[in-house]
Amino acid sequence: MRSMENFQGGFIEEATDNINDLESALLLLEEDPANSELIERVFRAMHSLKGGGAMFGFDELSDFTHHMESVYDLVREGKLEVTRDLLNITLDSVDLMKKLLVVEDERPEEISVEHSKLVSGIKGFLVDAEENAPRGQVYESAGSNPDSGGTVIITYLINFVPDKDIMKNGTNPLYLIDELNSLGKTMVIANTCNIPELEKFDTSKCYISWRVFLSTSEDKNAISDVFMFVEDDCMLEIHKLGASDLLDDERFVRKIEECRESDSEIEINSIKDFAKSIKEEGNDKKSRQIKRKVANGRENTISSIRVSSDKIDQLMNLVSELVITQASLSLYTENSNNADLQPIAESVQKLTRQLRDNAFSISLIPLESMMTRFQRLVRDLSDELGKEINFSAKGTETELDKTIIESLTDPLLHIIRNAIDHGIESPDERKNKGKPANGEIVLKAFYSGANVIIEVSDDGAGIDPEKIRKKAIERQLITPDSALNDKELVNLLFLPGFSTAESVTDLSGRGVGMDVVKRKISSIRGEVDIESSPGKGTVVTVKLPLTLSIIDGLLVKIAGSQYVIPLSVVDKIFAVEHETIARASNNLVVLDGEQLPFYYLREEFGLDGKPPAREEMVVVEYENVRIGLATDSVVGEHQAVLKPLGKFYREQEIVSGGTILGDGSIALVLDTNKIINQFSNNNKIKEVIS
Amino acid sequence: MEKTILIVDDSESIREVVSFTLESEGFKVLVGVDGKDALKFLNGNSIDLIITDLHMPVMNGIELIREVRGMEAYSRVPILFLTTESQTAKKNEAKEAGATGWIIKPFVPAKLISAINKVMR
Repeated sequence: MRSMENFQGGFIEEATDNINDLESALLLLEEDPANSELIERVFRAMHSLKGGGAMFGFDELSDFTHHMESVYDLVREGKLEVTRDLLNITLDSVDLMKKLLVVEDERPEEISVEHSKLVSGIKGFLVDAEENAPRGQVYESAGSNPDSGGTVIITYLINFVPDKDIMKNGTNPLYLIDELNSLGKTMVIANTCNIPELEKFDTSKCYISWRVFLSTSEDKNAISDVFMFVEDDCMLEIHKLGASDLLDDERFVRKIEECRESDSEIEINSIKDFAKSIKEEGNDKKSRQIKRKVANGRENTISSIRVSSDKIDQLMNLVSELVITQASLSLYTENSNNADLQPIAESVQKLTRQLRDNAFSISLIPLESMMTRFQRLVRDLSDELGKEINFSAKGTETELDKTIIESLTDPLLHIIRNAIDHGIESPDERKNKGKPANGEIVLKAFYSGANVIIEVSDDGAGIDPEKIRKKAIERQLITPDSALNDKELVNLLFLPGFSTAESVTDLSGRGVGMDVVKRKISSIRGEVDIESSPGKGTVVTVKLPLTLSIIDGLLVKIAGSQYVIPLSVVDKIFAVEHETIARASNNLVVLDGEQLPFYYLREEFGLDGKPPAREEMVVVEYENVRIGLATDSVVGEHQAVLKPLGKFYREQEIVSGGTILGDGSIALVLDTNKIINQFSNNNKIKEVIS
Repeated sequence: MEKTILIVDDSESIREVVSFTLESEGFKVLVGVDGKDALKFLNGNSIDLIITDLHMPVMNGIELIREVRGMEAYSRVPILFLTTESQTAKKNEAKEAGATGWIIKPFVPAKLISAINKVMR
């Protein structure tokens, strides 16, 4: 049997969403404090947190949110203005709410201190408008109406005269009589004398009133509770007739039946007197168990479901294994010459590919999910540094693998932090330079081939290459006579231990520099690049692969070993005589009327053996640089499930992983972007980096 | 006959706990994530009771109640609304719109059932 605790996990997830939504709505509200839609959104998020919190046992959260909700109720009613102070305390509260979502005994102690501090802060806002808005009781706590335990039976007379229109809201008065019946023993007398003649009869109206004699162990509140939904729509009297079960008394019952048959008006007082004259005890027990059929199938039409990320990881692993197994099947089929097996293997291959793409799309999440954190960072940090900054984001619907997003948040936070701290100048400085006082930071994301590009640009001071040169010389990263152009100088920022911040501020310049950003982004096979024009601003570009684990590749053979080149970068394949390659000077060949630099991989990898007379040149392209990779032969397309090579091979740059082929052998997956980079990069930089 | 209850709430956990409770009681449960979403069930389906939250992003509870009352087929279907506010203002607004009754959150399953019993058998 499931109990309430089973739902707690679901609530935590949902509450986290609500808190995030609350946070982003608050940040928007700061821009536009009078926006009633945003206020409503804030209110709604709080409302859900409060209600859910109480139901799922997060009483502190619920209680806390209740105070917040009260404040925003006033805002909603226009009795309180959205001020900076209010937003500050609300955002602090949001932070606390996140902590309150942790199960109580796993929480650090200082939270309760923070809690009470914030509550008193919030209450401060309530004081002003208090006389205007009488706040009702907090809310009914669950089960606040326990059954009165006594076994004393009391007999009541209930006079229930519904309004004629009582049925228009879907109320059926008979159910109320039924419910009275469930409280104990009843005798019901319906007064039908107000029913009109048939031609005047309106079926939507209620012409009947009731008198109900009820003997019950419940108290008077339980009886009026029955009528709680209709108390404004009826005349209701509850009279206590006596402290005994009068309905157990023959004389009393006979008396009532007489009244019923004669259709005469029942005089309350005379009944009361009659009741007094009878003094007997009754002890009948109520029976009010409501039983229903067992649960049936459920019709559920929710269009999206929530799945734990563990399950998705598991799915991805299984898909990866399936891709490998499918490769074995294809290979076996090819070698077996079995005509019947051929179509089966082909359709398995097709299905596997579709399944793979589908499974991938499941684990993609939009960048949007990170934006709130960035907005919050910009807000808090610009506040702290006394800078005025507008942050905007474009293309946040761009989707990336969730593992990439997870590893991306920190580097991006760091990049934005740098832009705020080192990039954007103070308002005065900006005005002196003829710039608008408000700095701009723009995050732009878009797809580019099999990559996602994220650009963070600011219109701040930019990076002074000369400053970097000085620092780099100081740190002995370059020699004074190194001839580096501006872009190369700026890229020195990625070297370990480099920081241009002249004073260490609270946030950036703590020794954690761009080198860490670069390392983190490299670990997810991404690249990062800085471009800066002094005085105008800086653009940091992060380039990421769409997915991490499976890529479409081109399988090639070199000296008996197989390698995979990502298909997304392959432009053309040429057959080239070995002679041509051997005779090429400066590693240049002319193909298709175009001069093409190439890597002779056999030589680069130091592989022995005799090259074939005719080799194949795979032309790959990256950032408008085309180079050829000379291989022995091209085998064909291959879905490569990337497996890491392990820590001993972490330092090398040109292989991004290994993959298992259909026959169980291993092929290395080449990181062509790195190969091209090495090729096109200035040798001086290479020296510096190595 | 099996009774059908339509639950409308934007909170998944509330939907889950309410539908779980109701299904254990033998009701057939339909689920809408907001007022607008709920309307898709009101196309001739036999619905014996609607339970709706008041605060929802797309078409709130009050609007939903008005909409339902405007449909001839459902003008008499009992409607309960879920609310944490025990203030009379909200209740009156909902009753004015045509609600039959209300359930105050938080609630224990017994309370939910007892509210339902007041408006449906």
